[in-house]
Amino acid sequence: MQRTEKYAWDDAMLKQRTARLNNVVRPRRPPGRAIRKRTGVLPAFPRPCSGKGGGRAHGAVPMVILAALLLLGICGPTPASADDSPWKWTMVLKQNLLKDSMIMPTSLYIDEEREQYYVVDSGRNRILSFSRDGELLTIFNAGRSLDTPFDMVRSQDGLIWIVEKGRNSLTSVNLKEKSVQPMTLRFEGALLYPDRLEYHDGLLYVLDKMTGDVVAFDLDLTPGKRYACSDCSEGFIDFRIHEGRLWALDNPGGRIVVFALDGAVVERMDLGDPVTYPYSLAVGPAGYIYILDRQKRNIAVYDKTGTYKYSFLRYGFARGEMYYPTEIRFDPWGRLCVTDEGNARVEVFSR
Amino acid sequence: MRALVTLLLSSAALLLFSGPVRAAVVCLDCHDRNQFTNRVVHEPVREEQCTRCHNPHVARHDGLLMVREGRLCYSCHDQLPNRFNRGHVHGPVADGQCTVCHDPHAAAGASLVNEDLARNCLVCHDKLPLEFKYAHAPFSNGACIECHLPHNSEQQGLLKARADELCLSCHQPESLRAGHQNFPADPAGCLTCHNPHGSDRPGLVRNVLHPPFEKDCATCHGLKKMQAAVCLDCHQGVSEEMMRIHSHLTRQDGNSCLNCHSPHAGDDERLLRGPLQQLCVSCHMDVIEGYRLSTYKHPAMQNCGDCHEPHASNTLSMLKGDGIEVCARCHESQGAFSHPIGEDVIDERTGQAMTCVTCHNPMGTEFAFHLLDDRGKGLCILCHKNY
Repeated sequence: MQRTEKYAWDDAMLKQRTARLNNVVRPRRPPGRAIRKRTGVLPAFPRPCSGKGGGRAHGAVPMVILAALLLLGICGPTPASADDSPWKWTMVLKQNLLKDSMIMPTSLYIDEEREQYYVVDSGRNRILSFSRDGELLTIFNAGRSLDTPFDMVRSQDGLIWIVEKGRNSLTSVNLKEKSVQPMTLRFEGALLYPDRLEYHDGLLYVLDKMTGDVVAFDLDLTPGKRYACSDCSEGFIDFRIHEGRLWALDNPGGRIVVFALDGAVVERMDLGDPVTYPYSLAVGPAGYIYILDRQKRNIAVYDKTGTYKYSFLRYGFARGEMYYPTEIRFDPWGRLCVTDEGNARVEVFSR
Repeated sequence: MRALVTLLLSSAALLLFSGPVRAAVVCLDCHDRNQFTNRVVHEPVREEQCTRCHNPHVARHDGLLMVREGRLCYSCHDQLPNRFNRGHVHGPVADGQCTVCHDPHAAAGASLVNEDLARNCLVCHDKLPLEFKYAHAPFSNGACIECHLPHNSEQQGLLKARADELCLSCHQPESLRAGHQNFPADPAGCLTCHNPHGSDRPGLVRNVLHPPFEKDCATCHGLKKMQAAVCLDCHQGVSEEMMRIHSHLTRQDGNSCLNCHSPHAGDDERLLRGPLQQLCVSCHMDVIEGYRLSTYKHPAMQNCGDCHEPHASNTLSMLKGDGIEVCARCHESQGAFSHPIGEDVIDERTGQAMTCVTCHNPMGTEFAFHLLDDRGKGLCILCHKNY
């Protein structure tokens, strides 16, 4: 248990009066609006038909037939690529003020009730909140007391819980009392090194970087269940809780281990060759599994059965490209959010 | 009629000259025949078919080779590429430089290899001492291939088998047990204590001992689980490093420290399990593969630790500084005359300060100076859209 610090409220909640000076990036379409279904998406560059008759069409009539076939998209499956992915760039969460941009944002938390995004800006020791439309709302630094924040959640009692790497702590921030309380975590006597953090049903789930295990804590930080991989060489690198199950990513093993919340392993899914360095995972509303490959700088998509479907995104600095991505996460509105440390932003994609 | 005659003459000429020509008749008028004579002679040389590999007039490749070295060898030895592309691949094999080890004309040893194989190996592996106070017999006999495969292997260090299995293939378990009387189980993890080439200590025990190992095993092998915490209890400096954004703190078979360090003995005070590059590759194989396959890359990258922190860092890719600091340690004046970089030069795509890695990827690209795009125009218009 650590000391509780009071922080200066005025310094902490800096209403961004300058927000209007920022060129707030608006989404291209109203959030929540239905996007065309993937089955109806035509590839951007459809391949010419091959095989019988495909290359032998001469004259106007065959050409018309060929064009019609292409338009109908019945020339067979096209290779999965960024171009034919159903995901389209929608907006970016970033600080647009030059010289005050984020430095190495490491995670995103989404408050469904408030319809807000919170981006942990680890390099500047602060948290930025954005509206559902991507407008920067506040910049919060808890009275400049944060030390290398890494991940965060908000619990139902209104406390903000922040993993502070610099303190090796799980720090609770009470906004009403304007207090900060860093706490070190232990499980069975061993010091934990908190890494990723999730909140579900009154419990805080903490990924311990030392062991690669996920440990559940109640809000008094009393440890409960442990979710461990008995046959992983390194433990887990990321996890999500989705539909009452804990989905954990085994990086060197290239697989997902799915736990029931009582700790029993219910499923294992091998990711196979499409990914080389799986770093983060997310489970979509339809049950599709999304794997961030930090080495390839793309996202591989698997269906519910674990069958690889396609990959999208690529290396780069421009819109829709990733330089050093660190986390992916779905928001409650079905949009896929990619936190990119290298490009200092969170990009939001919609179907 | 005239066309028909021309056609017939052309065909006759083609038939006459299309087969392998005994080019050596001409070549060896100038080139000393003794250079191509030895106990083992390459088949094309034996048949005096120099032109199977060399173009006598002009070629793009050194030695007037018809095509690039590796590709040329594989044009006949066509089964080899599939055999050599699995697991850990020896550098010269990966780079298609067969002649680093094989003489393409003639040699004293089988497979056109120098009879004194070890001398061949030590030309590149020059950090290996030539002599040890106590040397492993295969090493002192120059029999590198007793333990190593020359082309590729599923094991690190191109070992023929897992290190322990390899040791046990010569050293009988009974004799090992007799020599490790206080060892709690059957001896295993031989290389954590022994240097397989040689050492200044008897029994090939590595030169530098971990103080707790030297003093009392119970210091570490107590009641605690052998996690990294046991190491970090003493190594406070490293413990503080682990409180950074990116670290190598993982469970890694129980203790991430042991992924790189030996808990018992090492060849220097870092107690590393092997050369740093080799340790990095054991997990980051894809990174090294990408580097190797890139056309343009930062030269002379032999040690990952030159640019990357091995334990932890608050920078991207666990670099030793930001995208300028790391480069400026060597490229001192580069920022002064190239595109402006630094805090005051913002990349509008990201809102971040421009650094060296905004344009260069030292791990390799397909563009000159390992730029991210063509320096003629492609690179510039990534930012200067209206250029």
